Amino acid sequence: MLLYDALIAPFIEFEFMRRALAAVIALALGGAPIGVFLMLRRMSLVGDAMAHAILPGAAIGFLLSGLNLFAMTTGGLIAGFTVAILAGVVARTTELKEDASLATFYLVSLALGVTIVSIHGTNIDLLHVLFGNILAMDDPTLLVIAFNTTITLLVLAVIYRPLVVESVDPVFLRTVSRAGTPAHLAFLALVVLNLVNGFHALGTLLAVGLMILPAGIARFWSRDITGMICIAVGSAMVSGYAGLVLSFQTRIPSGPAVILVAAALYVFSVLFGNVSGLVRQMFPGRHLEA
Amino acid sequence: MAAQLQFRDVTLGYDRHPAVHHLSGEVVSGALVAVVGPNGAGKSTLFRGIVGILRPLSGAIEHGGLDIRDIAYLPQTADIDRSFPISVFDFVGTGLWRATGFFGGMGKSARDKIAQALASVGLNGFENRAIGTLSGGQMQRMLFARVLLQDARMIVLDEPFNAIDARTSADLLALVRRWHAEGRTVLAALHDFDLVRANFPETLLLARGKVAWGATAEVLTGDNLQEARRMCEAFDDGAAACVADNLPSRAA
Amino acid sequence: MRRSSLWLFCLVIAAAAWPARAEDRLKVVASFSILGDFVKNVGGDRVEVTTLVGPNGDVHVYTPAPADAKKIADARLVVINGLGLEGWLPRLVQSSGSKAVIVTATDGIVPLKSGSAADPHAWQSVTNAKIYVANIRDALVAADSGDAAAFRVNADGYLAKLEGLDRDVRAAMAQIPPARRKVISTHGAFGYFAAAYGVEFIAPLGVSTDSEASARDIADIITQIRVAKIPAVFVENISDPRLIQRISAETGAGIGGTLYSDSLTGEKGDAPTYIDMVRHNIKALNHALTP
Repeated sequence: MLLYDALIAPFIEFEFMRRALAAVIALALGGAPIGVFLMLRRMSLVGDAMAHAILPGAAIGFLLSGLNLFAMTTGGLIAGFTVAILAGVVARTTELKEDASLATFYLVSLALGVTIVSIHGTNIDLLHVLFGNILAMDDPTLLVIAFNTTITLLVLAVIYRPLVVESVDPVFLRTVSRAGTPAHLAFLALVVLNLVNGFHALGTLLAVGLMILPAGIARFWSRDITGMICIAVGSAMVSGYAGLVLSFQTRIPSGPAVILVAAALYVFSVLFGNVSGLVRQMFPGRHLEA
Repeated sequence: MAAQLQFRDVTLGYDRHPAVHHLSGEVVSGALVAVVGPNGAGKSTLFRGIVGILRPLSGAIEHGGLDIRDIAYLPQTADIDRSFPISVFDFVGTGLWRATGFFGGMGKSARDKIAQALASVGLNGFENRAIGTLSGGQMQRMLFARVLLQDARMIVLDEPFNAIDARTSADLLALVRRWHAEGRTVLAALHDFDLVRANFPETLLLARGKVAWGATAEVLTGDNLQEARRMCEAFDDGAAACVADNLPSRAA
Repeated sequence: MRRSSLWLFCLVIAAAAWPARAEDRLKVVASFSILGDFVKNVGGDRVEVTTLVGPNGDVHVYTPAPADAKKIADARLVVINGLGLEGWLPRLVQSSGSKAVIVTATDGIVPLKSGSAADPHAWQSVTNAKIYVANIRDALVAADSGDAAAFRVNADGYLAKLEGLDRDVRAAMAQIPPARRKVISTHGAFGYFAAAYGVEFIAPLGVSTDSEASARDIADIITQIRVAKIPAVFVENISDPRLIQRISAETGAGIGGTLYSDSLTGEKGDAPTYIDMVRHNIKALNHALTP
């Protein structure tokens, strides 16, 4: 049957497709909720900033152990955590806001990274080597992604309440609890973990894209944060699946294919979404009785 | 009666300029105190100091053994993100924080309490509305409901009746009187002197320092009010570092 | 004169002459390690060679540093591959204000096509390498006619070595049954090798290190390996090896070690010179493909 051939057969026939699907589902589960919070806290650009911020860590890992992906990823994680935590602490204890704080730290980090790399002399594009490809999911990488997702979901479950309250009314949280700052820092740590492991496994485009685009999509269909998270996870999974099928049937590279599907969903949501969709705004229908 | 709140020569301010200068005194447990004064008198600053958001520049505020996190605070301009996707019910529910912690479940009794609190402020029917769809007055009532749920020994309200019509003010005042009857300590910053005279037995007249503090009738006299108005609002950029403790405040 | 002062006199003369001798050495800049190797072999100690993209570097995506502009400014000759390999070079030469002569080592080679562009990896065929060497020799002679004789002698010796290398490659390939002369490699840089020696190279990525594979591309390669029963998959010192490992795991094709294509390795690596590089590659290919 034609539909079967198009939608199911590729995954039956090829193991790399099944692994890619598993990876993208795990990424959706872990990354999409994080993306919703990032969007609500106006930190959507942190993904790109982090991609550059991890460079000195990866560079030092490379200097110490050559092209060893484990060393470079660990270095990247350490650099990412350092930048995220420092930026978070500065934003909370001084006048500087979160976005400016992060911007300054990631730029410093990037400059350090470029300096370290050029002192060593090799010009291998470290970041290019560090960033993976969803079609190349080997066992260790799949394990890393699964580990990621599990930790993310567990920690999110624990810090969910303070994170929500911190986002909507931070002054209130400060007056009733000391959990605000630790919850925020734990959240930042989760962001870094997801991003770095996402880069390592799937490349920047997919890792960041599957975090932010689904959150954007969810905004147009739900007024409640729990609903938003569910829609975000769902649309991330659908994008992943459809993107892989697209990459299989046409010759679009897999990462961009997934993001293109997500983008199409996003455009659809902007136009026709329940909550502030453009078409809805232009044609609201008759008003209600009460 | 025991002192719930003690101000020991406390100075609070921003960037080393004092907004509240050398305040001393105490609030008895169970008191109902109105804090009045012209704009810029330091009322909000004082309240921020009481709930622990602002650290004193000098001196101290003592809470009579009460954990600072057990004080309910209703701020003047709430830093609330109205675009956040949360319902009125869930928002008000966060008032139960000290009881449930950040991991505790919300059982039937909790949900009942929340519903009751909403009814007390006249917001029944608003449970599922997103907070961004509320008017200013409805927002204020919602914050009141949250304070209700906090079930705190001390309640600090900063200009709570600002955006509210007379009918609702009366309802909320009834809540304040109920708290007073329950033995809770209540402080409220207010502008409406008639309201203060009618409802608050004790008043602190603040003009960056204490002008008068005591029974309302004795505090809200013409002379006192005139003296308070004379105080300067702006920070003096040329001021020297403050030396003496007992000199009358330059500000007032 | 007394013995000691005679010695002293000779020393002084030698010392005075030494810098003069060093100044006679021709300064040459080569764009990457393989060209640098050729130039060293032809020039011997009559040239001072600096290489821009060193061992293990990636010449496709190199970003030049200010120090490189200085090296070019000081040089008399700049040896480049051409055929679109060093996209970053023309601007660098221009901005360095150098008066150096640019030598395109691939002059006279008929390039193979890769997509719509020319495939720059012409050195992979040893026959082409001989043309490289000849071009370099001629350029050195033109720049420094005083040492022309030395250059010609060096070049002849090296060309003979390359001749021997070519024979060895053909012999090694002959040992592999024709049906098994197929290989997967991450980097489509072996077009010339394939054409010259009859081994088929199939790659999941394009010629440069930047393009990304689609799921269909990978599926096609896996199908191809299964259908054509290709015995080996080769990993390379530049691109992502995990993709290759995935393909190998799914088809049962063996991973045949590393093939070096765009750059030499350091002194301690497998391929410190061009000849070592080719020998390593054919040994690896032979090992993986002979049953």
